Amino acid sequence: MDFEPKILGIACNWCTYTGADLAGTTRLQYPQNVRVVRVMCSSRINPSFIFRALQLGADGVLVGGCHPGDCHYNTGNLYARRRLATTKKILEFAGIEPGRFRVEWISASEGNRFAEVVEEFTTQVKNLGPQTKLKIQE
Amino acid sequence: MTDFKKIEENLKKEAKRLLESGEVTVVLAYGKGFDEKHPMPFAAKSVADVDNIVFNEYCNYNMARYLVRYPQGTKIAIAVKAADSRAVIQLIQEEKIKKENLVLLGIPVIGMKNPKTDEVIDSKTTCGMHNPVLYDVLLGEEVHGQKIVSPYDVLAEYEAMDKDARWQFWKDQFDKCIRCYACRKACPMCYCDPCFIDQNKPKWADKAPQSPGNIMYHLTRFHHLAGRCIDCGECSRACPVDIPLYLFHKKVAKECEEMFNQVSGMSIEDKPVLVNFRVEDSDKILE
Amino acid sequence: MLKKTAIEKISQLAAVLMEKGTLLAPVKEVAGHNFAEINDPQKVDLNFYNTIISPKGAFFPPKEDFIKYKIGKTITEAEQIKVDSKPVFLFGVRPCDVKSFSIMDIHFNAAGIIDPYWSQRRKATTIFGYAYDLNQPVDAADFYNSLGIYAADPEGSDIFMVKKDKDLLLKGITPKGEELLAQLNTLVDAGKDDEKYYEETLKKGKEYKTRFLCIDQDVIAKKLEAVFNNNDFWTKVSSACLSCGACTFVCPNCYCFDICDDTIFGKGTRRRVWDACMFTDFTLEASGHNPRTQVYQRLRQKINHKYSYHVKKYGVISCVGCGRCTRSCPVNIDIYSIVEEALKL
Ligand code: SF4
Ligand code: SF4
Ligand code: SF4
Ligand code: SF4
Repeated sequence: MDFEPKILGIACNWCTYTGADLAGTTRLQYPQNVRVVRVMCSSRINPSFIFRALQLGADGVLVGGCHPGDCHYNTGNLYARRRLATTKKILEFAGIEPGRFRVEWISASEGNRFAEVVEEFTTQVKNLGPQTKLKIQE
Repeated sequence: MTDFKKIEENLKKEAKRLLESGEVTVVLAYGKGFDEKHPMPFAAKSVADVDNIVFNEYCNYNMARYLVRYPQGTKIAIAVKAADSRAVIQLIQEEKIKKENLVLLGIPVIGMKNPKTDEVIDSKTTCGMHNPVLYDVLLGEEVHGQKIVSPYDVLAEYEAMDKDARWQFWKDQFDKCIRCYACRKACPMCYCDPCFIDQNKPKWADKAPQSPGNIMYHLTRFHHLAGRCIDCGECSRACPVDIPLYLFHKKVAKECEEMFNQVSGMSIEDKPVLVNFRVEDSDKILE
Repeated sequence: MLKKTAIEKISQLAAVLMEKGTLLAPVKEVAGHNFAEINDPQKVDLNFYNTIISPKGAFFPPKEDFIKYKIGKTITEAEQIKVDSKPVFLFGVRPCDVKSFSIMDIHFNAAGIIDPYWSQRRKATTIFGYAYDLNQPVDAADFYNSLGIYAADPEGSDIFMVKKDKDLLLKGITPKGEELLAQLNTLVDAGKDDEKYYEETLKKGKEYKTRFLCIDQDVIAKKLEAVFNNNDFWTKVSSACLSCGACTFVCPNCYCFDICDDTIFGKGTRRRVWDACMFTDFTLEASGHNPRTQVYQRLRQKINHKYSYHVKKYGVISCVGCGRCTRSCPVNIDIYSIVEEALKL
């Protein structure tokens, strides 16, 4: 049986989430592996969300926010960029495949882009196989 | 070599002067412990206390840890070695303390030792600097002409590991952790009340000292220290089971330095990198 | 009965014990020695002064699972986890630590309060006490003499071990120990000179001096009670304290614990984990009130509990002077010096 990864998507309300919506309403096809959670801004994402998601069984985490400069709160994603970049480095040094975590800027009008990214990321995580390092074993 | 006795004398002299004149109410320095090899962090509050002050190669405590314990506005003199002065700068950046309330008694020193192993602590487990970055009074001769070794050299071995081996390395280390939280408590930058690990709602991690909770505690703590850790190595020396936390902190510091082009605790004008941004930060850092 | 074996051949003894049950013995770790369950008999290493963490974990593990449960929409299942009562051999415990078990029994294994986990483990365990090596210097942090314990006290052990050059002498102390000794076929009978050496070591143990506080425990208890309100004193002695849990976690006599539920997706475990009076949130009440907000209050509690309240309530100091808290304290706070200073007030 093919491995179907579980991916947590965290999308900002103003851009990526709306973009995902657009992808839906324009009936674009993309893999269903990403479960999207909406947050108000990508800077609301506590790095522990990502660690915790991986512990609770996510095989990958995809974060989406507005393009730098387009943040609804002006600078939220600029903070988030630094913070999430650090998160990525930490995962990497801990020995977790960096390919399991990705940050993308997707605007409200980029339904296509959203579908593309999900497609790409899902394939990538699929190729990495199940995430067992951080996952809490019963 | 550093003249420890001379520094001790100067430290006592300065402490006495500052307390006598009422310029400060507390002098954070080092005091006698139960034997020579085990001095203690010490807060001198009166001229009579000054006699208890010592300085020797085992006084590696980062006294900046105690600054936040005193109410804002308390006039404090603090003995600082290189890394300790960086901790003070970092705390000033984070607006936990104000420069005007502090008198920094700078101690330039080489040859501090870890009492547990008797090894000289240098760039391997700390930032490897010898002279305080910021001080008001210097208690000894500045150290010059030492070979400059990057504090990140120790990382090479671990960076070269393949990721599965590195994961195994860290997992084995974290599995040893008994969750005594000495690392957090010894750290000058860990002043949160409550710390995320003590929170119940949300409960970020298991309380039990076993793999999942330990990993969550440490990864999150490394993240909280990103761009703030000044590489004093106190966390690792405090750890009763000798987990080399400094390695991870160094790695994160190195990455932050590369990404944001700023070293923690070097200037009071700086802002901590993670509460700051530049519009021109590159998306490359996310790759 | 006195038996002996070459220290070199200790792994053979370990292998025999492993066949009979679980073997807990000192192993070398990076930072020093610690008790661990032995999977490889070669790992047993008797070349240690004392372990970093006390052997209390043999009976009171850092994490003890009580109940596994499932919380569903309608049904909630729960299942109690039983203690495995396989025989356990706790090998190489220093006399001060052996003493600590009997003090801990007050809390976990006395009339009225029997902790099934502690008491079952206690019953299943055979304790191999191990005299300090009298040829090695005493660690400066130790002060077990003050608590009436000597370097070669067999009291409390089932089997007591003494090192004689390259040999290890094993003496059965309790019937349980004697019986086990008789079954251990890797051991040989000890000779006359060994007997003599063993007896002499017990005697010489009294001369192996640690720091000593020559004061009656009731005097200490009263004194500490009297200085309870001396905030200056407590602030001074605690000014370096970081309020971490290192001292209590390594202590053989600290027994505070927390019970917590770790649940993920409706499945979870109720477990007991070590807690420490030195933690900021130890006394935090549900209302948000915290009666001990200051570091000095917490350190005072720790010391008074051991040296004052415990004496008044149970008639014994809850400390065996093993020196672990002092050795593990990141800032070298020394409980002995604090008590000593309090007595001078
Ligand atoms: S994390 Fe460790 S090395 Fe960094 S500042 Fe804190 S105590 Fe010092
Ligand atoms: S680990 Fe994080 S939350 Fe806890 S004290 Fe340190 S910085 Fe604060
Ligand atoms: S000091 Fe060491 S054992 Fe204690 S919590 Fe930190 S890493 Fe764990
Ligand atoms: S006495 Fe030492 S080990 Fe105990 S809480 Fe204070 S600093 Fe930590």
